[in-house]
Amino acid sequence: MVSNGEVETASQEDRANVPALDIRNLSKTFSGQVVLDRVDLAIAEGKVHALVGQNGSGKSTLIKIVAGYHRPDPGGSVWVRGMPLQFGSAAAHEAGIRFVHQDLGLLLDLSSVENLMLGLSYPRGFLGRIHWREARRQAQERVARVGLDIDVRAPTGELGLADRTGLAIARALPEPDQGRAVLVLDEPTAALPAADVDRLLATIRRLRDAGHSVLIVSHHLDEVLDIADQVTVLRDGRKVASADAADMDRDTLGRLMVGHDLVISTGRDEAVETAGPVVLGLEEIAGGTVAGVSTTVRRGEIVGIAGLTGSGREVLGAMLSGRMPRAGQVSVDGVAVPSANPAAAMAARLAFVPGERARYGTFATLTVRQNLTMGSLRRHVRRGYIDAGSERREVRTWVDELGIVTRGVDAPITSLSGGNQQKVLVARALRLSPKVLVLDDPTAGIDVKARDQVHSIIERSADAGTAVLLVSTDSEELARLADRVLILSHGRVVRTLRRGVDLSPEAIDHAQVSLGAP
Amino acid sequence: MSLEIGRRSAADSTAADSTADRAGGQPAGPVVAQPPAVEAGTAKGGAGRGVAGGPYPPEPVRQPVSLTLGKYSALLLFALFIIIFGALKPHLFLTVSTFRLTFGEGVVTAVLALAFLVPLAAGIFDLSIGAMMGLSLVLINWFAGNTHIPVGLVCLGAVLVCCLVGLVSGFLVVRFRVNSLIATLGVSQVLTAVGLKVSDNRQITGAFSDRFATLGSTNLLGVPVVVLYLLALAVILWFVLEHTPVGRYLFAVGSNPEAARLAGLPAERLVYGSLIASGGVAGIAGVIYSMRVGAYTADSGSGLLFPALAAVFFGASQFSRRPNVWGTLVAYFALAFGVKGLQLAFGPGTFWIQPLFQGVALLIAVALASRQVAQTRRSRRTQAAAAESGSESESGAQPEPVATGEPRAPAP
Repeated sequence: MVSNGEVETASQEDRANVPALDIRNLSKTFSGQVVLDRVDLAIAEGKVHALVGQNGSGKSTLIKIVAGYHRPDPGGSVWVRGMPLQFGSAAAHEAGIRFVHQDLGLLLDLSSVENLMLGLSYPRGFLGRIHWREARRQAQERVARVGLDIDVRAPTGELGLADRTGLAIARALPEPDQGRAVLVLDEPTAALPAADVDRLLATIRRLRDAGHSVLIVSHHLDEVLDIADQVTVLRDGRKVASADAADMDRDTLGRLMVGHDLVISTGRDEAVETAGPVVLGLEEIAGGTVAGVSTTVRRGEIVGIAGLTGSGREVLGAMLSGRMPRAGQVSVDGVAVPSANPAAAMAARLAFVPGERARYGTFATLTVRQNLTMGSLRRHVRRGYIDAGSERREVRTWVDELGIVTRGVDAPITSLSGGNQQKVLVARALRLSPKVLVLDDPTAGIDVKARDQVHSIIERSADAGTAVLLVSTDSEELARLADRVLILSHGRVVRTLRRGVDLSPEAIDHAQVSLGAP
Repeated sequence: MSLEIGRRSAADSTAADSTADRAGGQPAGPVVAQPPAVEAGTAKGGAGRGVAGGPYPPEPVRQPVSLTLGKYSALLLFALFIIIFGALKPHLFLTVSTFRLTFGEGVVTAVLALAFLVPLAAGIFDLSIGAMMGLSLVLINWFAGNTHIPVGLVCLGAVLVCCLVGLVSGFLVVRFRVNSLIATLGVSQVLTAVGLKVSDNRQITGAFSDRFATLGSTNLLGVPVVVLYLLALAVILWFVLEHTPVGRYLFAVGSNPEAARLAGLPAERLVYGSLIASGGVAGIAGVIYSMRVGAYTADSGSGLLFPALAAVFFGASQFSRRPNVWGTLVAYFALAFGVKGLQLAFGPGTFWIQPLFQGVALLIAVALASRQVAQTRRSRRTQAAAAESGSESESGAQPEPVATGEPRAPAP
């Protein structure tokens, strides 16, 4: 695949100018559909290179080709420090390319030592027993290299998300005597709150300074501009730009990704807060990391909840949906909603879009239609059986209304992209015509366009009179949508930011961080 | 259909402009800026999308031929057995009485298989079905032998007792969070003990009226009447599982219990319900057995557990590729005819053939199905990757021909 004449001359080039990773003319076609179209990408030695693009732009395919998971179309090649890369699973690893995937691949029940040692051989002692003290020392050394200070004996599940990501990076890094790595980080910050993101970016800088080269895939434009030396933008499988990060700004980058101007809504009308009647009442909600949260949401109001991981933000949504038990009163239009009972919450017309889509939202073995109507089939039941025709008609109207991209209403839910699966879950909530809509990080890990669409769906439903409680790790999202954002810390509301007064993404970030990480 | 054709051509035309000028403003309207308004109809929604998209409508999912064959492997196997043994022993095998006998003998186990199927849809294993049938049988025989209660009432009572035992299993699974496999295994041992105590470890036979025995042995329109009982039960379960909300919800619980609870489904009640139903159906198996055979012995229920399970698991690789009624029945009778053919072809010394045959057939069927699942996943993944790239385009309207979890018309 790579043994053409050009190859030989290339490897003769001056070593100093040879890129760490050089992707040339890479194309990929899946059953007649061009997914990557002659993409070139060069990562300079010791630099951080960001790869951005919406879902479906071909980023994942590109990475999977480098990882040896997919085979490229003939004509493309990948070079690692001047050497051609054979495509295959072990080749990339041998060439010093290391991957940290979005799900990290850590075993949460095992300790950090055990996670770091996966695939390696343990130091052995008497009778072949594992020399744990030595193993721990080595592990501590490895995590120190990424600037992490954790107890390597504790189960990985007890670590925060940022530490887990750091651990996964530490595991990916080669030993110092094995030379420098090309690290590929696939959306490492997707699930991280702002302060954790900064820590992770610091880790990445540290790696760059140690001479490693980094390819980081991300949706978050700010962090891309913050960390990267170079940026490459993919759109519809083609490279549309590759430039120094210093020459880029947010707007340009956003425009390049989407192909036209990103229209950020100018914000909703002010002073809704005093207008409508109170619909959702929370009184001293407590449980887990939540110590006592009280607030009200009025008709047509969007109230945001922000906070670092551990502040209570991460469990508040689960308590309102009934997934987790809680203490304290929740009422919808004055009617109390019992704890830990999703069906009762729905009966009180409190609908929710759970976080962690695959775990708490979708039914992987069922179709789009079955997923969308789950929980409330009554309107399609005729004499005891489901009238599939009438159900399909309703699902089609939702597919059209929310712009869900699917092969059809009877396609398996897993054939949809993450953003479209999320829209199915939003539709499931909206079709209950709820008085209160609770959303838990509704746009985590979905692309810019789908995120924008979900935002406008939320706005429209608030405009139609729904009281919305939006729990989110995305400060920009909160600032854009919410009339009021409550900042949680140590399980309590420590600050309220109001639209038109002091609400902005920066203010949210600042408040979360300055009011104290847990 | 016409709508779908229209959509596809819309996608093609957007494809044309997007290739022409990607960076420039699209006349078709920027998606991000103006998502379709709530009240906007289909037309506007359709026009608003499909702009930023890839120019290639996704292809329909292609299934390798082996997959399609695999979906019908039980039917093929059935046909194969008929042909092979029909050719080997035409006078013994291809007779009305052999068919009547094989179908008639299989009914009880097939009903047990259906009992296992219902909770399995919800991801719950009920291993107590064999013992449950034994319980039903011992109760019917004891009451018919020692009291003068009408046999119809006795049968009804036995089925209700079995439902009650299902309720107890449900209680263990839901309240005490005992793994269903363990809970029902424990329950089955308790039931076996009850049977042994009541029967004093002897064969007991109730004094059944001739009419009762006739209900198990006559032929109606040339078909053993018990087969008709089985068919009636199968139709009811098929309807409930595939065409009612309860069935849909059972499969949802089986797919993702946590998400099912969050979607407002009464997940716990569904678990209770499925175990009660499986108890009841196993009780009915006991009733049919007592009509056909009458006597109770300690091993009459437990010996049928494995063939029933084998049929359900084999059947779950058929047709819709999830636990389903017709797949189960076809799988069961395919195996039953295979066993019968072997016995007829190789004589009476082959009593050991049945377990061997069922074990091997189950292993092969499930191994093939797992391989198919892996293949389907692989092809799905390839397609997902392809769809990912083209996901912004207006998707082609081709419905997926693979197992979509969609209730589909079964082949009997």
